[in-house]
Amino acid sequence: MSIEMSESENIVFLRDKHIKYIDSLDKKQEDYEYWLSEHLRLNGVYWGLTALCLLNAKDTFKKEDVIEFVISCWDERSGGFAPFPGHDGHMLSTLSAIQILATYDALDSMNARDIREKCVAFIKGNQMKDGSFQGDRFGEVDTRFVYNAISSLSILGELTPEIVDPAVEYILRCYNFDGGFGLCPGAESHAAQAFTCLGTLAIVNKLGKLSDSQMEELGWWLCERQLPEGGLNGRPSKLPDVCYSWWVLSSLSIIDKLSWIDYNKLRAFILQSQDEKKGGISDRPENEVDVYHTVFGIAGLSLMGFENLDPIDPAYCMPVSVTSKFKKYPYDK
Amino acid sequence: MHGIKRRQWTEELLKQKKLQDQKKISEYRDLTKTVLDKKRKEIYTLETFDLTTQVLKINPEFNSVWNYRRDIINSLRDGLAIESWEDELNFTMAQMKVFPKVYWIWNHRVWILNNYPNSPLKIWQRELVIASKVLEMDARNYHAWHYRRIIVNEIEKISGKSMDKSELEYTTLNINQNISNFSSWHQRAKLLPRMFSTDEVMDKKKFINDEVSYITNAMFTDAEDQSVWLYIKWFIKNEIVSKTLSGDEYQKMLKDLKNNILAINEDEVEFSGVQNNWCLKILIVIEDIETSLGITNTSNKTEYIEQLIEADPLRKNRYMHLLNKH
Ligand SMILES: [Zn+2]
Repeated sequence: MSIEMSESENIVFLRDKHIKYIDSLDKKQEDYEYWLSEHLRLNGVYWGLTALCLLNAKDTFKKEDVIEFVISCWDERSGGFAPFPGHDGHMLSTLSAIQILATYDALDSMNARDIREKCVAFIKGNQMKDGSFQGDRFGEVDTRFVYNAISSLSILGELTPEIVDPAVEYILRCYNFDGGFGLCPGAESHAAQAFTCLGTLAIVNKLGKLSDSQMEELGWWLCERQLPEGGLNGRPSKLPDVCYSWWVLSSLSIIDKLSWIDYNKLRAFILQSQDEKKGGISDRPENEVDVYHTVFGIAGLSLMGFENLDPIDPAYCMPVSVTSKFKKYPYDK
Repeated sequence: MHGIKRRQWTEELLKQKKLQDQKKISEYRDLTKTVLDKKRKEIYTLETFDLTTQVLKINPEFNSVWNYRRDIINSLRDGLAIESWEDELNFTMAQMKVFPKVYWIWNHRVWILNNYPNSPLKIWQRELVIASKVLEMDARNYHAWHYRRIIVNEIEKISGKSMDKSELEYTTLNINQNISNFSSWHQRAKLLPRMFSTDEVMDKKKFINDEVSYITNAMFTDAEDQSVWLYIKWFIKNEIVSKTLSGDEYQKMLKDLKNNILAINEDEVEFSGVQNNWCLKILIVIEDIETSLGITNTSNKTEYIEQLIEADPLRKNRYMHLLNKH
């Protein structure tokens, strides 16, 4: 036990390499994979930028270029943001766009061409009768999209009880007997859904809708995600994965039970998943790194207070320095 | 990216990859540019439909191209024969086999089924067989389970008949093959309360007693896996049990279960020298129920919690919290 512990304490967090890795991502136009991942570009920029903020290296990206790119992703036809120019607007990329602009304190760039107004209409227009949200006009429903909508509208200060109340009711219907949340009512609990559901409730100040015993069950289910090797899984009997460092930890943090898992063991698992040569973090040790696991690994470390990282807001998955300026719902009259 | 082994690139390998990528990139970019241009111009023809096939075969994650494809199908709908809809189902099936975890493919298949001319019962029933096949390959596939529930829901809606019984049998079949298939235990916990509330269970008491034997058996078969324990934790607290059994029967059920768990734990201590964490965790739950029922025989809760602090240090702080609350 003590040998293992001191070994893991010796692993170094490769701060500078991670910054270099994130910076290199947009310079990979010679890689086929770069072009195959256009549909995730805006999300990728958000992940990269958020990681850089936590690493205290926000200036690595050129602010003006990023803002210009975000605005070029706006899809006039739907009113939402697409992940890449010429693609269709979707709830997932719309949240990424708004998060990036908010991080740069540049939401006013949405004032041009009525982008802001049309974007809000796009988001609100995707709410279904039962309070859920579809991802776009083709009707896929998932609590991920409820979270996208509520977080986006919150950042823009556009929440209303007409939107919030049915969304909250829907989220509560996704709570399961085992203490987790599913992607829709009836679906199996999944750690990523715990984040989208608890994040939604936290943003609209409705965590009180969960009873004390539901909170206890939630905390229990979440802390059972930690495996002996230190990493966290997303469901029972699944392998550990660095991205769950975020989905599980942020959820635990939202319900104020962060300490129910072992920090040192999780830290070791995340650090073992670093690529020592080129930087970046992978889903588990020895696998290929990507920006998604890089940001969620770093965000997890930040929540646990390791590596002198900038603090992250567990509900918004953005730097606290940014979210502390958001108008909190319910708004003062 | 998930589950992709990290590769060490030598200079030589990198050079080769770059060369190969160059050609692929220019072909792919030409193709996507053409498709997105025609999409912007709203050209909905069989020719543009084929172009979307080309893109999606290379990149099934390209959501906007799936959207374009649906717009084309909508626009050509009146002239489409049934074979075209069948072709589309075949296309998504082929894609699914290669990429079983891409949300957009599952999503597109649901859209096709919903938009299939008259969306008849028989295509949904056929789809249920397909969903079972997919789950045979990966019994925990989250997408496939979600998909299965959508299909069952639709069949019930069209036929007006509940499928709870056959779906319950399906979970039994799965669990008998692999006790740690938590997706099936989850489904079971969703089905039982509904079956009890709609009077689909003839002899409720017998049903509960059978279920108790079933989980007791499962517990003895694999006491290491948390799936069955999570189910037991739900089951013993649920109204379908506490209201179906009389007060005495309920207490006896809890007591028997407790003795069985203690036996499993003792076996384990004898065999490996350590306690079974889940035995201890569920013993605490049972004692909590007993306390709430006013049964005040000797409580071992504190002892169990203290043992867990030693035996399950990852979650030490949760146990400390339980101890303080107690
Ligand atoms: Zn992951």
